[in-house]
Amino acid sequence: MQRYAVNVLFCAAAVALVGLAQAGMLDKYVLTIITFMGINCIFAVSLNLVNGYMGEFSCGHGGFMCVGAYTGSLLSVAFFTNSKLFGPALFPPELAPFLFPLVLIGAGSVAALFGLIVALPSFHTRDDYLAIITIAANYIIISVVENIDAIGGPRGFSGMRRVVGAMSDVADVPWMLIWTIVGLFVCVMTIYRLMTSTYGKGISAVCQNEVAAEIMGVDTNRVKIMAFMVSSGLAGLSGALYAHVYGYVNAQAFNILKSTEGLVIVYLGGMGSISGVLLAAIAFTLLVEALRFVMPWLNDILHAANLLPAGYELSQVWKWVIIPLILILLMQFRPEGFLGNRELTQVFPRLKRWITLK
Amino acid sequence: MMLRVSNLKAAYGKIEALHGISFHVEKGEIVTLIGANGAGKSTTLKALMRLPPPESPSVTGGDIEFDGVSILGMEAHRIVSGLKMTLVPEGRHIFGNLTVVENLQLAAWTRKNENIGREIHHIFDMFPRLAERARQRSDTLSGGEQQMLAVGRALMTKCSVLLLDEPSMGLAPLIMYDMFRTLKRLNADGLTIIVVEQNALLALQVADRGYVLDTGEIVAEGPAEDLLRTPEIKAVYLGG
Repeated sequence: MQRYAVNVLFCAAAVALVGLAQAGMLDKYVLTIITFMGINCIFAVSLNLVNGYMGEFSCGHGGFMCVGAYTGSLLSVAFFTNSKLFGPALFPPELAPFLFPLVLIGAGSVAALFGLIVALPSFHTRDDYLAIITIAANYIIISVVENIDAIGGPRGFSGMRRVVGAMSDVADVPWMLIWTIVGLFVCVMTIYRLMTSTYGKGISAVCQNEVAAEIMGVDTNRVKIMAFMVSSGLAGLSGALYAHVYGYVNAQAFNILKSTEGLVIVYLGGMGSISGVLLAAIAFTLLVEALRFVMPWLNDILHAANLLPAGYELSQVWKWVIIPLILILLMQFRPEGFLGNRELTQVFPRLKRWITLK
Repeated sequence: MMLRVSNLKAAYGKIEALHGISFHVEKGEIVTLIGANGAGKSTTLKALMRLPPPESPSVTGGDIEFDGVSILGMEAHRIVSGLKMTLVPEGRHIFGNLTVVENLQLAAWTRKNENIGREIHHIFDMFPRLAERARQRSDTLSGGEQQMLAVGRALMTKCSVLLLDEPSMGLAPLIMYDMFRTLKRLNADGLTIIVVEQNALLALQVADRGYVLDTGEIVAEGPAEDLLRTPEIKAVYLGG
Protein backbone atom coordinates (compact mmCIF):
# COMPACT_ATOMS: atom_id res chain seq x y z
CA MET A 1 0.00 0.00 0.00
CA GLN A 2 2.97 2.22 0.65
CA ARG A 3 3.61 2.80 -3.01
CA TYR A 4 0.22 4.43 -3.40
CA ALA A 5 1.13 7.12 -0.86
CA VAL A 6 1.89 9.90 -3.37
CA ASN A 7 -1.10 9.00 -5.52
CA VAL A 8 -3.39 9.15 -2.50
CA LEU A 9 -1.76 12.43 -1.53
CA PHE A 10 -2.51 13.91 -4.96
CA CYS A 11 -6.09 12.70 -4.86
CA ALA A 12 -6.48 14.14 -1.38
CA ALA A 13 -5.00 17.45 -2.56
CA ALA A 14 -7.38 17.54 -5.53
CA VAL A 15 -10.38 16.75 -3.31
CA ALA A 16 -9.23 19.30 -0.73
CA LEU A 17 -8.87 21.93 -3.44
CA VAL A 18 -12.34 21.29 -4.78
CA GLY A 19 -13.66 21.22 -1.22
CA LEU A 20 -12.06 24.54 -0.34
CA ALA A 21 -13.39 26.12 -3.51
CA GLN A 22 -16.83 24.70 -2.78
CA ALA A 23 -16.80 26.04 0.77
CA GLY A 24 -15.92 29.46 -0.61
CA MET A 25 -12.59 29.54 1.21
CA LEU A 26 -10.74 30.39 -2.02
CA ASP A 27 -11.63 33.65 -3.62
CA LYS A 28 -12.45 33.73 -7.27
CA TYR A 29 -9.04 35.10 -8.23
CA VAL A 30 -7.08 32.33 -6.49
CA LEU A 31 -9.42 29.72 -7.95
CA THR A 32 -8.88 31.05 -11.46
CA ILE A 33 -5.10 31.06 -11.02
CA ILE A 34 -5.14 27.46 -9.82
CA THR A 35 -7.27 26.45 -12.79
CA PHE A 36 -4.94 28.21 -15.20
CA MET A 37 -2.05 26.45 -13.54
CA GLY A 38 -3.66 23.15 -14.45
CA ILE A 39 -4.34 24.29 -18.01
CA ASN A 40 -0.73 25.43 -18.43
CA CYS A 41 0.37 22.04 -17.09
CA ILE A 42 -1.65 20.23 -19.77
CA PHE A 43 -0.41 22.58 -22.48
CA ALA A 44 3.25 22.22 -21.51
CA VAL A 45 3.23 18.48 -20.82
CA SER A 46 1.69 17.88 -24.25
CA LEU A 47 4.30 20.08 -25.91
CA ASN A 48 6.96 18.15 -24.04
CA LEU A 49 5.98 15.00 -25.95
CA VAL A 50 7.16 16.54 -29.21
CA ASN A 51 9.92 18.87 -28.03
CA GLY A 52 11.27 16.83 -25.16
CA TYR A 53 10.73 13.19 -26.00
CA MET A 54 10.74 13.27 -29.77
CA GLY A 55 13.37 16.00 -30.06
CA GLU A 56 11.59 18.05 -32.71
CA PHE A 57 11.36 21.78 -32.16
CA SER A 58 7.69 22.64 -32.43
CA CYS A 59 6.98 26.31 -31.84
CA GLY A 60 3.40 26.48 -33.00
CA HIS A 61 1.72 24.63 -30.18
CA GLY A 62 -0.58 27.58 -29.48
CA GLY A 63 -2.28 26.94 -32.81
CA PHE A 64 -3.57 23.58 -31.65
CA MET A 65 -4.75 25.10 -28.40
CA CYS A 66 -6.64 27.61 -30.55
CA VAL A 67 -8.31 24.83 -32.55
CA GLY A 68 -9.29 23.08 -29.33
CA ALA A 69 -10.55 26.28 -27.75
CA TYR A 70 -12.78 27.18 -30.69
CA THR A 71 -13.99 23.62 -31.31
CA GLY A 72 -14.80 23.18 -27.63
CA SER A 73 -16.60 26.52 -27.47
CA LEU A 74 -18.63 25.92 -30.62
CA LEU A 75 -19.59 22.41 -29.51
CA SER A 76 -20.69 23.43 -26.05
CA VAL A 77 -22.59 26.47 -27.29
CA ALA A 78 -24.34 24.33 -29.91
CA PHE A 79 -25.04 21.53 -27.45
CA PHE A 80 -26.31 23.38 -24.43
CA THR A 81 -27.44 26.91 -25.28
CA ASN A 82 -29.81 28.65 -27.62
CA SER A 83 -27.65 30.74 -29.88
CA LYS A 84 -28.01 32.83 -33.00
CA LEU A 85 -25.34 30.76 -34.69
CA PHE A 86 -26.69 27.27 -34.06
CA GLY A 87 -30.31 27.88 -33.13
CA PRO A 88 -31.88 26.04 -30.20
CA ALA A 89 -29.79 23.84 -27.93
CA LEU A 90 -29.28 20.27 -29.11
CA PHE A 91 -29.51 18.88 -25.60
CA PRO A 92 -31.37 20.17 -22.56
CA PRO A 93 -28.95 22.33 -20.51
CA GLU A 94 -29.47 20.02 -17.53
CA LEU A 95 -27.32 17.44 -19.34
CA ALA A 96 -24.35 19.85 -19.57
CA PRO A 97 -22.32 18.40 -16.68
CA PHE A 98 -22.71 14.88 -18.06
CA LEU A 99 -22.07 15.63 -21.72
CA PHE A 100 -19.26 18.11 -21.15
CA PRO A 101 -16.62 15.36 -21.56
CA LEU A 102 -17.95 14.97 -25.12
CA VAL A 103 -17.08 18.62 -25.74
CA LEU A 104 -13.56 18.03 -24.43
CA ILE A 105 -13.11 14.85 -26.47
CA GLY A 106 -14.42 16.61 -29.58
CA ALA A 107 -12.04 19.54 -29.07
CA GLY A 108 -9.12 17.15 -28.56
CA SER A 109 -9.97 15.07 -31.62
CA VAL A 110 -10.28 18.02 -33.97
CA ALA A 111 -7.04 19.51 -32.65
CA ALA A 112 -5.38 16.11 -33.15
CA LEU A 113 -6.49 16.14 -36.79
CA PHE A 114 -4.95 19.58 -37.17
CA GLY A 115 -1.77 18.05 -35.76
CA LEU A 116 -1.46 16.37 -39.15
CA ILE A 117 -0.60 19.80 -40.64
CA VAL A 118 2.70 19.45 -38.85
CA ALA A 119 3.00 15.67 -38.78
CA LEU A 120 2.89 15.15 -42.54
CA PRO A 121 5.65 17.65 -43.44
CA SER A 122 7.75 16.16 -40.63
CA PHE A 123 8.31 13.02 -42.74
CA HIS A 124 10.83 14.79 -44.90
CA THR A 125 11.65 17.87 -42.88
CA ARG A 126 13.57 18.17 -39.68
CA ASP A 127 15.00 20.52 -37.10
CA ASP A 128 14.96 24.23 -37.92
CA TYR A 129 12.97 23.70 -41.09
CA LEU A 130 10.26 21.83 -39.27
CA ALA A 131 10.28 24.54 -36.60
CA ILE A 132 9.45 27.09 -39.29
CA ILE A 133 6.62 24.89 -40.56
CA THR A 134 5.18 24.76 -37.04
CA ILE A 135 5.28 28.55 -36.79
CA ALA A 136 3.58 28.76 -40.16
CA ALA A 137 0.90 26.30 -38.98
CA ASN A 138 0.33 28.50 -35.93
CA TYR A 139 -0.14 31.58 -38.14
CA ILE A 140 -2.38 29.77 -40.62
CA ILE A 141 -4.71 28.52 -37.90
CA ILE A 142 -5.00 31.94 -36.29
CA SER A 143 -5.56 33.79 -39.56
CA VAL A 144 -8.21 31.31 -40.65
CA VAL A 145 -10.07 31.57 -37.35
CA GLU A 146 -9.79 35.35 -37.36
CA ASN A 147 -11.29 35.54 -40.82
CA ILE A 148 -14.36 33.38 -40.22
CA ASP A 149 -16.90 36.00 -39.39
CA ALA A 150 -19.58 33.50 -38.33
CA ILE A 151 -17.58 32.63 -35.21
CA GLY A 152 -16.78 36.20 -34.34
CA GLY A 153 -13.70 36.76 -36.44
CA PRO A 154 -11.30 39.14 -34.73
CA ARG A 155 -13.96 40.02 -32.14
CA GLY A 156 -13.69 36.60 -30.59
CA PHE A 157 -16.37 34.18 -29.55
CA SER A 158 -18.32 33.94 -26.32
CA GLY A 159 -21.29 32.17 -24.77
CA MET A 160 -19.42 29.49 -22.88
CA ARG A 161 -20.19 31.18 -19.59
CA ARG A 162 -23.82 30.19 -20.05
CA VAL A 163 -22.72 26.56 -20.39
CA VAL A 164 -20.70 26.73 -17.19
CA GLY A 165 -23.72 28.43 -15.65
CA ALA A 166 -25.94 25.58 -16.84
CA MET A 167 -23.60 23.13 -15.15
CA SER A 168 -23.73 25.14 -11.93
CA ASP A 169 -27.53 25.14 -12.07
CA VAL A 170 -27.47 21.34 -11.93
CA ALA A 171 -25.00 21.21 -9.06
CA ASP A 172 -23.26 24.21 -7.57
CA VAL A 173 -19.68 22.95 -7.53
CA PRO A 174 -16.52 24.47 -9.09
CA TRP A 175 -16.99 22.61 -12.37
CA MET A 176 -14.11 24.04 -14.34
CA LEU A 177 -11.63 23.23 -11.57
CA ILE A 178 -12.89 19.65 -11.54
CA TRP A 179 -12.69 19.30 -15.33
CA THR A 180 -9.19 20.76 -15.33
CA ILE A 181 -8.04 18.26 -12.70
CA VAL A 182 -9.60 15.42 -14.70
CA GLY A 183 -8.01 16.75 -17.90
CA LEU A 184 -4.60 17.02 -16.29
CA PHE A 185 -4.86 13.48 -14.97
CA VAL A 186 -5.83 12.15 -18.42
CA CYS A 187 -3.00 14.12 -20.03
CA VAL A 188 -0.26 12.97 -17.67
CA MET A 189 -1.39 9.35 -17.74
CA THR A 190 -1.67 9.33 -21.55
CA ILE A 191 1.84 10.64 -22.01
CA TYR A 192 3.34 8.51 -19.26
CA ARG A 193 1.75 5.34 -20.59
CA LEU A 194 2.68 6.23 -24.15
CA MET A 195 6.32 6.82 -23.27
CA THR A 196 6.67 3.58 -21.33
CA SER A 197 5.10 1.58 -24.18
CA THR A 198 6.86 0.18 -27.24
CA TYR A 199 5.72 3.27 -29.13
CA GLY A 200 7.49 5.36 -26.52
CA LYS A 201 10.73 3.54 -27.25
CA GLY A 202 10.12 4.29 -30.93
CA ILE A 203 9.67 7.98 -30.07
CA SER A 204 13.00 8.00 -28.18
CA ALA A 205 14.63 6.26 -31.13
CA VAL A 206 13.33 8.89 -33.56
CA CYS A 207 14.61 11.56 -31.19
CA GLN A 208 18.09 10.06 -31.13
CA ASN A 209 18.62 9.12 -34.71
CA GLU A 210 16.01 8.69 -37.39
CA VAL A 211 18.14 6.66 -39.77
CA ALA A 212 19.10 4.25 -37.01
CA ALA A 213 15.47 4.02 -35.90
CA GLU A 214 14.40 3.14 -39.42
CA ILE A 215 17.00 0.39 -39.81
CA MET A 216 15.89 -1.08 -36.50
CA GLY A 217 12.50 -1.51 -38.09
CA VAL A 218 10.79 1.46 -36.43
CA ASP A 219 8.09 2.93 -38.66
CA THR A 220 9.27 6.48 -38.07
CA ASN A 221 6.40 8.09 -39.98
CA ARG A 222 3.81 6.30 -37.92
CA VAL A 223 5.61 7.17 -34.70
CA LYS A 224 5.71 10.84 -35.71
CA ILE A 225 2.04 10.97 -36.65
CA MET A 226 1.20 9.35 -33.32
CA ALA A 227 3.31 11.77 -31.29
CA PHE A 228 2.16 14.90 -33.11
CA MET A 229 -1.50 13.91 -32.95
CA VAL A 230 -1.45 13.00 -29.26
CA SER A 231 0.44 16.18 -28.49
CA SER A 232 -1.82 18.52 -30.43
CA GLY A 233 -4.92 16.69 -29.23
CA LEU A 234 -3.99 17.30 -25.61
CA ALA A 235 -3.18 20.93 -26.45
CA GLY A 236 -6.70 21.11 -27.87
CA LEU A 237 -8.04 19.78 -24.59
CA SER A 238 -6.23 22.53 -22.70
CA GLY A 239 -7.66 25.06 -25.15
CA ALA A 240 -11.23 23.89 -24.58
CA LEU A 241 -10.75 24.17 -20.82
CA TYR A 242 -9.21 27.63 -21.21
CA ALA A 243 -12.15 28.82 -23.29
CA HIS A 244 -14.66 27.71 -20.66
CA VAL A 245 -12.73 29.15 -17.73
CA TYR A 246 -12.46 32.52 -19.48
CA GLY A 247 -15.90 32.38 -21.01
CA TYR A 248 -14.52 34.08 -24.09
CA VAL A 249 -11.99 33.16 -26.78
CA ASN A 250 -10.03 35.24 -29.21
CA ALA A 251 -7.64 33.79 -31.75
CA GLN A 252 -4.90 36.26 -30.85
CA ALA A 253 -4.71 34.72 -27.38
CA PHE A 254 -3.11 31.68 -29.02
CA ASN A 255 -0.54 33.38 -31.19
CA ILE A 256 3.17 32.75 -31.21
CA LEU A 257 3.48 34.26 -27.73
CA LYS A 258 1.33 31.49 -26.29
CA SER A 259 3.46 28.91 -28.10
CA THR A 260 6.58 30.57 -26.72
CA GLU A 261 5.13 30.41 -23.23
CA GLY A 262 4.80 26.65 -23.67
CA LEU A 263 8.38 26.39 -24.91
CA VAL A 264 9.61 28.41 -21.95
CA ILE A 265 7.86 26.10 -19.51
CA VAL A 266 9.23 22.98 -21.20
CA TYR A 267 12.79 24.29 -21.20
CA LEU A 268 12.40 25.56 -17.65
CA GLY A 269 11.30 22.18 -16.40
CA GLY A 270 13.66 20.03 -18.40
CA MET A 271 12.98 18.41 -21.73
CA GLY A 272 11.60 14.91 -21.52
CA SER A 273 10.60 15.12 -17.88
CA ILE A 274 6.89 15.10 -17.06
CA SER A 275 7.40 15.98 -13.40
CA GLY A 276 9.88 18.73 -14.29
CA VAL A 277 7.47 20.32 -16.74
CA LEU A 278 4.61 20.12 -14.23
CA LEU A 279 6.76 21.91 -11.64
CA ALA A 280 7.80 24.50 -14.22
CA ALA A 281 4.23 25.15 -15.34
CA ILE A 282 3.17 25.76 -11.75
CA ALA A 283 6.22 27.92 -11.02
CA PHE A 284 5.79 29.94 -14.21
CA THR A 285 2.10 30.65 -13.61
CA LEU A 286 2.87 31.66 -10.03
CA LEU A 287 5.77 33.85 -11.12
CA VAL A 288 3.68 35.76 -13.66
CA GLU A 289 0.97 36.38 -11.07
CA ALA A 290 3.34 37.12 -8.19
CA LEU A 291 5.14 39.81 -10.17
CA ARG A 292 1.82 41.59 -10.54
CA PHE A 293 2.03 42.32 -6.80
CA VAL A 294 5.78 42.73 -6.70
CA MET A 295 5.87 45.49 -9.33
CA PRO A 296 4.17 48.28 -7.29
CA TRP A 297 6.23 47.24 -4.32
CA LEU A 298 9.44 47.37 -6.36
CA ASN A 299 8.31 50.76 -7.67
CA ASP A 300 8.03 52.11 -4.12
CA ILE A 301 11.43 50.76 -3.11
CA LEU A 302 13.17 52.19 -6.15
CA HIS A 303 11.54 55.58 -5.61
CA ALA A 304 12.48 55.54 -1.94
CA ALA A 305 16.06 54.80 -2.93
CA ASN A 306 15.92 57.61 -5.48
CA LEU A 307 16.87 55.26 -8.30
CA LEU A 308 13.99 56.30 -10.52
CA PRO A 309 13.24 59.82 -11.84
CA ALA A 310 10.43 61.38 -9.85
CA GLY A 311 7.78 61.41 -12.59
CA TYR A 312 8.36 57.82 -13.75
CA GLU A 313 6.22 54.98 -12.42
CA LEU A 314 7.32 51.41 -12.91
CA SER A 315 4.45 49.82 -14.82
CA GLN A 316 3.30 46.21 -15.07
CA VAL A 317 4.94 45.98 -18.49
CA TRP A 318 8.29 45.62 -16.76
CA LYS A 319 7.14 42.17 -15.72
CA TRP A 320 8.00 41.07 -19.25
CA VAL A 321 11.52 42.31 -18.78
CA ILE A 322 11.99 40.56 -15.49
CA ILE A 323 10.61 37.17 -16.57
CA PRO A 324 12.88 36.83 -19.64
CA LEU A 325 15.76 38.00 -17.47
CA ILE A 326 15.10 35.20 -15.01
CA LEU A 327 15.06 32.81 -17.95
CA ILE A 328 18.38 34.07 -19.26
CA LEU A 329 19.92 33.56 -15.85
CA LEU A 330 18.44 30.09 -15.58
CA MET A 331 19.74 29.09 -19.00
CA GLN A 332 23.17 30.38 -18.03
CA PHE A 333 23.42 28.50 -14.78
CA ARG A 334 21.15 25.52 -15.29
CA PRO A 335 20.68 25.00 -19.03
CA GLU A 336 19.11 21.58 -18.57
CA GLY A 337 16.14 23.07 -16.68
CA PHE A 338 14.89 22.05 -13.24
CA LEU A 339 15.25 18.31 -13.68
CA GLY A 340 17.13 17.81 -16.94
CA ASN A 341 15.65 14.86 -18.77
CA ARG A 342 15.06 12.98 -15.55
CA GLU A 343 11.88 12.48 -13.57
CA LEU A 344 11.54 13.39 -9.91
CA THR A 345 11.67 9.68 -9.07
CA GLN A 346 15.08 9.46 -10.73
CA VAL A 347 16.40 12.52 -8.93
CA PHE A 348 15.07 11.21 -5.61
CA PRO A 349 15.06 7.42 -6.00
CA ARG A 350 13.45 7.00 -2.59
CA LEU A 351 10.26 8.50 -3.98
CA LYS A 352 9.81 5.32 -5.99
CA ARG A 353 8.66 3.47 -2.90
CA TRP A 354 5.83 5.94 -2.46
CA ILE A 355 4.50 6.23 -5.94
CA THR A 356 3.07 4.02 -8.64
CA LEU A 357 1.86 5.01 -12.05
CA LYS A 358 0.48 1.69 -13.19
CA MET B 1 19.37 -15.75 -56.21
CA MET B 2 18.57 -13.71 -53.15
CA LEU B 3 19.23 -10.13 -54.15
CA ARG B 4 19.46 -8.89 -57.72
CA VAL B 5 20.23 -5.29 -58.60
CA SER B 6 19.78 -4.49 -62.26
CA ASN B 7 20.84 -1.30 -63.98
CA LEU B 8 20.29 0.70 -60.78
CA LYS B 9 20.44 4.46 -61.12
CA ALA B 10 20.29 6.61 -58.02
CA ALA B 11 20.53 10.33 -57.47
CA TYR B 12 20.72 12.93 -54.74
CA GLY B 13 18.42 15.59 -56.08
CA LYS B 14 19.66 16.17 -59.61
CA ILE B 15 23.11 14.75 -59.11
CA GLU B 16 23.28 11.15 -60.27
CA ALA B 17 25.51 9.06 -58.03
CA LEU B 18 24.95 5.63 -59.55
CA HIS B 19 24.87 5.41 -63.35
CA GLY B 20 23.25 2.00 -63.71
CA ILE B 21 24.98 -0.72 -61.76
CA SER B 22 24.07 -4.40 -61.75
CA PHE B 23 25.09 -7.05 -59.27
CA HIS B 24 23.64 -9.95 -57.39
CA VAL B 25 24.06 -11.68 -54.07
CA GLU B 26 23.41 -15.36 -53.38
CA LYS B 27 22.13 -16.67 -50.06
CA GLY B 28 24.97 -17.35 -47.63
CA GLU B 29 27.57 -15.31 -49.50
CA ILE B 30 29.87 -12.54 -48.37
CA VAL B 31 29.98 -9.96 -51.13
CA THR B 32 32.11 -6.86 -50.94
CA LEU B 33 31.84 -3.57 -52.78
CA ILE B 34 35.17 -1.78 -52.91
CA GLY B 35 36.20 1.49 -54.43
CA ALA B 36 37.59 4.93 -53.75
CA ASN B 37 35.80 7.78 -51.95
CA GLY B 38 32.76 8.93 -53.86
CA ALA B 39 32.52 5.76 -55.93
CA GLY B 40 28.94 5.16 -54.79
CA LYS B 41 29.42 2.34 -52.30
CA SER B 42 27.44 3.83 -49.43
CA THR B 43 24.87 5.14 -51.88
CA THR B 44 24.31 1.58 -53.07
CA LEU B 45 23.70 0.32 -49.55
CA LYS B 46 21.35 3.18 -48.72
CA ALA B 47 19.43 2.51 -51.92
CA LEU B 48 19.22 -1.19 -51.04
CA MET B 49 17.81 -0.31 -47.63
CA ARG B 50 15.31 2.10 -49.21
CA LEU B 51 16.25 4.81 -46.71
CA PRO B 52 14.31 8.00 -47.39
CA PRO B 53 15.75 11.11 -49.09
CA PRO B 54 17.20 13.70 -48.61
CA GLU B 55 20.07 12.00 -46.73
CA SER B 56 19.71 8.95 -48.92
CA PRO B 57 19.46 8.77 -52.70
CA SER B 58 16.26 8.37 -54.66
CA VAL B 59 16.26 5.57 -57.22
CA THR B 60 15.75 6.99 -60.69
CA GLY B 61 16.04 3.84 -62.76
CA GLY B 62 16.61 0.12 -62.70
CA ASP B 63 15.32 -2.33 -60.15
CA ILE B 64 16.20 -4.05 -56.88
CA GLU B 65 14.71 -7.50 -56.43
CA PHE B 66 14.68 -9.57 -53.26
CA ASP B 67 13.80 -13.22 -53.88
CA GLY B 68 12.45 -12.18 -57.26
CA VAL B 69 10.17 -9.41 -55.99
CA SER B 70 10.91 -5.72 -56.53
CA ILE B 71 11.43 -3.84 -53.26
CA LEU B 72 11.51 -0.34 -54.73
CA GLY B 73 8.10 0.51 -53.27
CA MET B 74 8.99 -0.68 -49.79
CA GLU B 75 9.89 1.51 -46.82
CA ALA B 76 13.06 0.89 -44.85
CA HIS B 77 11.34 -0.36 -41.71
CA ARG B 78 9.36 -2.87 -43.80
CA ILE B 79 12.60 -4.15 -45.29
CA VAL B 80 13.92 -4.72 -41.79
CA SER B 81 10.80 -6.38 -40.40
CA GLY B 82 9.62 -8.13 -43.55
CA LEU B 83 12.73 -9.12 -45.48
CA LYS B 84 15.03 -9.44 -42.47
CA MET B 85 17.67 -7.27 -44.09
CA THR B 86 19.35 -4.50 -42.13
CA LEU B 87 22.25 -2.09 -42.24
CA VAL B 88 25.14 -1.19 -39.98
CA PRO B 89 25.49 2.40 -41.11
CA GLU B 90 28.67 4.32 -41.64
CA GLY B 91 29.48 6.21 -38.46
CA ARG B 92 27.58 3.65 -36.37
CA HIS B 93 24.50 5.77 -35.54
CA ILE B 94 24.04 4.17 -32.14
CA PHE B 95 21.54 5.69 -29.71
CA GLY B 96 24.07 7.64 -27.64
CA ASN B 97 21.67 8.61 -24.86
CA LEU B 98 20.74 5.03 -24.10
CA THR B 99 22.74 2.35 -22.37
CA VAL B 100 24.20 -0.61 -24.26
CA VAL B 101 21.39 -2.89 -23.13
CA GLU B 102 18.73 -0.34 -24.05
CA ASN B 103 20.22 -0.02 -27.52
CA LEU B 104 19.93 -3.77 -27.97
CA GLN B 105 16.40 -3.84 -26.58
CA LEU B 106 15.31 -1.11 -28.95
CA ALA B 107 16.60 -3.15 -31.86
CA ALA B 108 14.04 -5.82 -31.01
CA TRP B 109 11.33 -3.21 -31.63
CA THR B 110 9.70 -5.18 -34.42
CA ARG B 111 9.24 -8.22 -32.18
CA LYS B 112 7.26 -6.58 -29.43
CA ASN B 113 6.37 -9.31 -27.02
CA GLU B 114 9.16 -11.83 -27.24
CA ASN B 115 11.59 -12.58 -24.48
CA ILE B 116 14.79 -11.02 -25.74
CA GLY B 117 17.01 -11.61 -22.72
CA ARG B 118 18.57 -14.70 -24.23
CA GLU B 119 19.36 -12.98 -27.50
CA ILE B 120 21.06 -10.16 -25.66
CA HIS B 121 23.21 -12.74 -23.88
CA HIS B 122 24.06 -14.23 -27.24
CA ILE B 123 25.28 -10.84 -28.44
CA PHE B 124 27.32 -10.47 -25.24
CA ASP B 125 28.93 -13.88 -25.88
CA MET B 126 29.95 -12.65 -29.29
CA PHE B 127 31.26 -9.30 -28.02
CA PRO B 128 32.32 -9.79 -24.37
CA ARG B 129 33.46 -6.15 -24.19
CA LEU B 130 29.83 -5.07 -24.51
CA ALA B 131 28.84 -7.22 -21.54
CA GLU B 132 31.30 -5.31 -19.39
CA ARG B 133 29.72 -2.05 -20.50
CA ALA B 134 26.11 -3.24 -20.43
CA ARG B 135 24.76 -0.48 -18.18
CA GLN B 136 26.98 2.28 -19.52
CA ARG B 137 25.67 5.08 -21.72
CA SER B 138 26.67 4.05 -25.21
CA ASP B 139 28.17 7.41 -26.21
CA THR B 140 30.86 6.81 -23.56
CA LEU B 141 32.08 3.70 -25.39
CA SER B 142 35.25 3.68 -27.45
CA GLY B 143 35.01 3.65 -31.24
CA GLY B 144 35.61 -0.08 -31.47
CA GLU B 145 33.02 -0.84 -28.83
CA GLN B 146 30.51 1.39 -30.57
CA GLN B 147 31.08 -0.52 -33.80
CA MET B 148 30.52 -3.80 -31.92
CA LEU B 149 27.33 -2.35 -30.51
CA ALA B 150 26.20 -1.26 -33.97
CA VAL B 151 26.74 -4.79 -35.31
CA GLY B 152 25.17 -6.37 -32.23
CA ARG B 153 22.20 -4.07 -32.55
CA ALA B 154 21.74 -4.99 -36.19
CA LEU B 155 21.85 -8.70 -35.29
CA MET B 156 19.16 -8.11 -32.65
CA THR B 157 16.72 -7.46 -35.49
CA LYS B 158 17.12 -11.17 -36.32
CA CYS B 159 18.28 -10.28 -39.79
CA SER B 160 19.33 -12.84 -42.37
CA VAL B 161 21.03 -10.30 -44.65
CA LEU B 162 23.42 -7.81 -43.08
CA LEU B 163 24.75 -4.78 -44.92
CA LEU B 164 27.82 -3.14 -43.42
CA ASP B 165 29.08 0.29 -44.39
CA GLU B 166 32.81 0.62 -43.66
CA PRO B 167 32.90 -1.49 -40.50
CA SER B 168 36.66 -0.99 -40.21
CA MET B 169 36.49 2.79 -40.13
CA GLY B 170 38.36 4.23 -37.17
CA LEU B 171 39.20 0.86 -35.68
CA ALA B 172 42.63 -0.22 -34.44
CA PRO B 173 44.05 -3.03 -36.63
CA LEU B 174 43.59 -5.74 -34.01
CA ILE B 175 39.96 -4.84 -33.36
CA MET B 176 39.41 -4.59 -37.09
CA TYR B 177 40.63 -8.17 -37.65
CA ASP B 178 38.49 -9.31 -34.71
CA MET B 179 35.45 -7.68 -36.28
CA PHE B 180 35.99 -9.40 -39.61
CA ARG B 181 36.60 -12.75 -37.90
CA THR B 182 33.26 -12.34 -36.15
CA LEU B 183 31.61 -11.54 -39.47
CA LYS B 184 33.12 -14.66 -41.01
CA ARG B 185 31.77 -16.74 -38.12
CA LEU B 186 28.30 -15.23 -38.50
CA ASN B 187 28.47 -16.02 -42.21
CA ALA B 188 29.34 -19.66 -41.41
CA ASP B 189 26.13 -19.73 -39.33
CA GLY B 190 24.15 -18.75 -42.41
CA LEU B 191 24.15 -14.92 -42.44
CA THR B 192 24.39 -13.31 -45.88
CA ILE B 193 26.72 -10.32 -45.77
CA ILE B 194 27.27 -7.37 -48.08
CA VAL B 195 30.18 -5.27 -46.90
CA VAL B 196 31.40 -1.95 -48.26
CA GLU B 197 35.03 -1.23 -47.51
CA GLN B 198 37.83 1.21 -48.08
CA ASN B 199 40.22 -1.40 -46.78
CA ALA B 200 39.96 -3.46 -49.96
CA LEU B 201 42.65 -5.97 -49.03
CA LEU B 202 40.93 -6.94 -45.81
CA ALA B 203 37.50 -7.07 -47.43
CA LEU B 204 38.65 -9.25 -50.32
CA GLN B 205 40.38 -11.67 -47.97
CA VAL B 206 37.10 -12.31 -46.17
CA ALA B 207 34.64 -12.09 -49.07
CA ASP B 208 33.53 -14.75 -51.55
CA ARG B 209 33.04 -12.30 -54.41
CA GLY B 210 33.74 -8.65 -54.96
CA TYR B 211 32.66 -5.72 -57.13
CA VAL B 212 34.84 -2.72 -57.80
CA LEU B 213 33.01 0.57 -58.10
CA ASP B 214 34.36 3.70 -59.70
CA THR B 215 32.38 6.96 -59.95
CA GLY B 216 29.02 5.26 -59.97
CA GLU B 217 29.84 2.35 -62.23
CA ILE B 218 31.03 -1.20 -61.71
CA VAL B 219 34.43 -1.53 -63.37
CA ALA B 220 35.41 -5.02 -62.27
CA GLU B 221 33.85 -8.03 -60.63
CA GLY B 222 34.63 -11.60 -59.81
CA PRO B 223 35.64 -14.06 -57.10
CA ALA B 224 37.59 -12.35 -54.37
CA GLU B 225 40.83 -14.31 -54.99
CA ASP B 226 40.78 -13.32 -58.66
CA LEU B 227 40.31 -9.65 -57.82
CA LEU B 228 43.17 -9.86 -55.34
CA ARG B 229 45.43 -11.10 -58.14
CA THR B 230 44.31 -8.68 -60.88
CA PRO B 231 47.24 -6.30 -61.50
CA GLU B 232 45.18 -3.13 -62.13
CA ILE B 233 43.16 -3.61 -59.01
CA LYS B 234 46.28 -4.35 -57.05
CA ALA B 235 47.81 -1.14 -58.32
CA VAL B 236 44.82 1.12 -57.67
CA TYR B 237 43.13 -0.29 -54.57
CA LEU B 238 45.53 -2.59 -52.80
CA GLY B 239 48.62 -0.42 -52.77
CA GLY B 240 50.82 -2.18 -55.32
